[in-house]
Amino acid sequence: MSGVLARRDRALTPEETEELLRDRLGEAAVVGSVVEYGVFTLRIAQEHWLEAARRCRDEPLLAYDLFDNLFAVDMREEGFDVVTVLYSTSTGNRLVLRTRCAGGREAPTCPSISDVYRGANWMERETWDMFGIEFEGHPGLAPRILTVENFEGWPLRKDFHLVSRGVKPWPGVKEPAELDEDGNVIERVPRIGDAPGPYELDKVIAEQAKLANPVPEPVTAEGGNVEELAQDADLASDSGQVLTSADEQAAEEAEAQASDVAADVAGAQAQDLEQTAKDKAEQRRREQAEARRRKAEERAADADDAGAAPDQEGNA
Amino acid sequence: MSELSTRERIHPGTAPGEDYHLEIVGEGDFATADMTLSIGPAHPATHGVFRIVLEMDGERVRSARPVIGYMHRGFEKLAEYRDYRQIMALVNRHDWLSGFSNELGVALAVEQLMEFEVPDRAQWIRMLMAEWNRVLNHLMFVGSFALELGAITPMFYAFREREDIQHMMEAATGGRLHFTYNQVGGVKIDLPKGFLRTSAELTTITRKRLVDYRDLILGNEIFQARTKGVGALPTDVALSFGVTGPTLQATGLPEDSRVTEPYLKYGEIDVPVPVGENGDAFDRFFCLLGRIEASLDIIDQVLDHIGPGPVNSKLPKMVKAPEGATYVRTENPLGQLGYWLESDGGRTPWRLKMRTPSFSNVQAIPYLLEGVLVPDAVAVLGSVFFVVGDIDR
Repeated sequence: MSGVLARRDRALTPEETEELLRDRLGEAAVVGSVVEYGVFTLRIAQEHWLEAARRCRDEPLLAYDLFDNLFAVDMREEGFDVVTVLYSTSTGNRLVLRTRCAGGREAPTCPSISDVYRGANWMERETWDMFGIEFEGHPGLAPRILTVENFEGWPLRKDFHLVSRGVKPWPGVKEPAELDEDGNVIERVPRIGDAPGPYELDKVIAEQAKLANPVPEPVTAEGGNVEELAQDADLASDSGQVLTSADEQAAEEAEAQASDVAADVAGAQAQDLEQTAKDKAEQRRREQAEARRRKAEERAADADDAGAAPDQEGNA
Repeated sequence: MSELSTRERIHPGTAPGEDYHLEIVGEGDFATADMTLSIGPAHPATHGVFRIVLEMDGERVRSARPVIGYMHRGFEKLAEYRDYRQIMALVNRHDWLSGFSNELGVALAVEQLMEFEVPDRAQWIRMLMAEWNRVLNHLMFVGSFALELGAITPMFYAFREREDIQHMMEAATGGRLHFTYNQVGGVKIDLPKGFLRTSAELTTITRKRLVDYRDLILGNEIFQARTKGVGALPTDVALSFGVTGPTLQATGLPEDSRVTEPYLKYGEIDVPVPVGENGDAFDRFFCLLGRIEASLDIIDQVLDHIGPGPVNSKLPKMVKAPEGATYVRTENPLGQLGYWLESDGGRTPWRLKMRTPSFSNVQAIPYLLEGVLVPDAVAVLGSVFFVVGDIDR
């Protein structure tokens, strides 16, 4: 797809397009531009977002008539980018407009271009559904278009963790995305300010159910609450065995990095984590031993019963 | 009394919690009741769990509101947790009638980021498979659209061809719907012996049978009466909605990614693009049939060009795309499919946005349904070809 930008004779080159838009919208409107892999991207200042889209459609030399795409990209601490892809059926040019949302991660907002392109209506609803970006001037972002109506949180933000992994660790070998270069498991520790997900909702429901019909909570040897352990367990791997080996590796790494000044903080955190994880593993091992002992006793009791009445069993 | 003035006298509900006010309007024998009709989520005319709420004024649709999201599976989020090889098995599921074409877009995007050279034979095989996939998809809609209008026979005819083609593709890929045949750098394995000969035979047979479809459906008076002039879509509105594929071509615009932005080897061969005139349901179906024939023509040309050689290239142990972003648009059977792939240099995509054709096409349905009669609404719904998984992702 290399010859896309100069296919038809009257099509403007990226440089000419940028110059034209700078002329029409003012110098401050276009923040930057880049052509990579044959895709021409223009960064637009947010105040000029709506006007830029309108110009792209109405300017006879540009004539971007086919509304292709609109979505957001998580830019970590910097907030969110809204990207729209336009295509011109008359010149064959494709243009990507990109803008940074105002309001950072807390309350991202962006002007709506649903007045300019009809197709932007649903795309913006989807973007709001996935990222929580408010589009000013949109006829109605709610109800949520793809997720269920009472869904909590913004699923495509990076601080929203994949629920299935949070509730239950992946069985067997981890997927490549969750392993680092040497095959060690990358532990994902939730950060402060994370969006609440359905998992949190479940916890609230469970909490309410517990209040409605209280049951005496089983207490472990250390006095720790079993449910707390279960909740902690989703940070760790699925079994104590795996946990310890992963911990040993983490400890080795921490030692190796000890000389490095920059790694000191990370090392301290790793050690903290390691300590709590080790405690948990210890508790769990004790519980398992207890369960095994109980089971063995039961089995012994069963065997005694069977021995007392061998005739019945033989007949059966 | 004109319908317009009758409609103007209907007011939405004023009491709290009341959507609309049920009131007899009109006079004498022409009295009608305002009514909300909910089609779906499990209605045969919708090909999946898709719901559309119609505000009715007697037999006429006053406004339509599609309700989507029943099949949302969060593919975009799941893709961020999988590496580029695993994504292939994920993306061929959103539009289950065009599995191969879905994979193709991701493969092209990753190869573009990694600057991978794909062997010639692999590219021709990809084209061959993509076109057969297109024929499979369109045959399905030929059958189902006729079925929605009350004709059951074309469905059986269409499935006869579909079975033959699926058998052939199964021999090469091992799958009937989810092929997972693409991989970064080429295709999984070479074609089995005799595949090209079977392909050539099947194009001849399918082309012969297309004549039957034309006579049976397009030439049918009932079909023409039900579809001609129904649900006409102007070109500028279609473009503003982002409608593509046969629905856009029916409006008279020969826009097709294979011609306007050639990928793979489409630039080296002749790609016929059928166009309609009025953009109505009849034209959409006409374009659908025309696209089958175009695909068969392309397959014949591919069979002339395809030569021996390797079908994939050796991948590094770790597939990592360098930092950057790209946008790949391919012509899927139902319209243009776009993948925005943004990478932060890791082994998983930072962001993979799917621009699925059905999502944009379905957006135009409220526009098309405004003012049509109920039986025509079914014809409109069936003629805007969409797959619900492709809308909801």
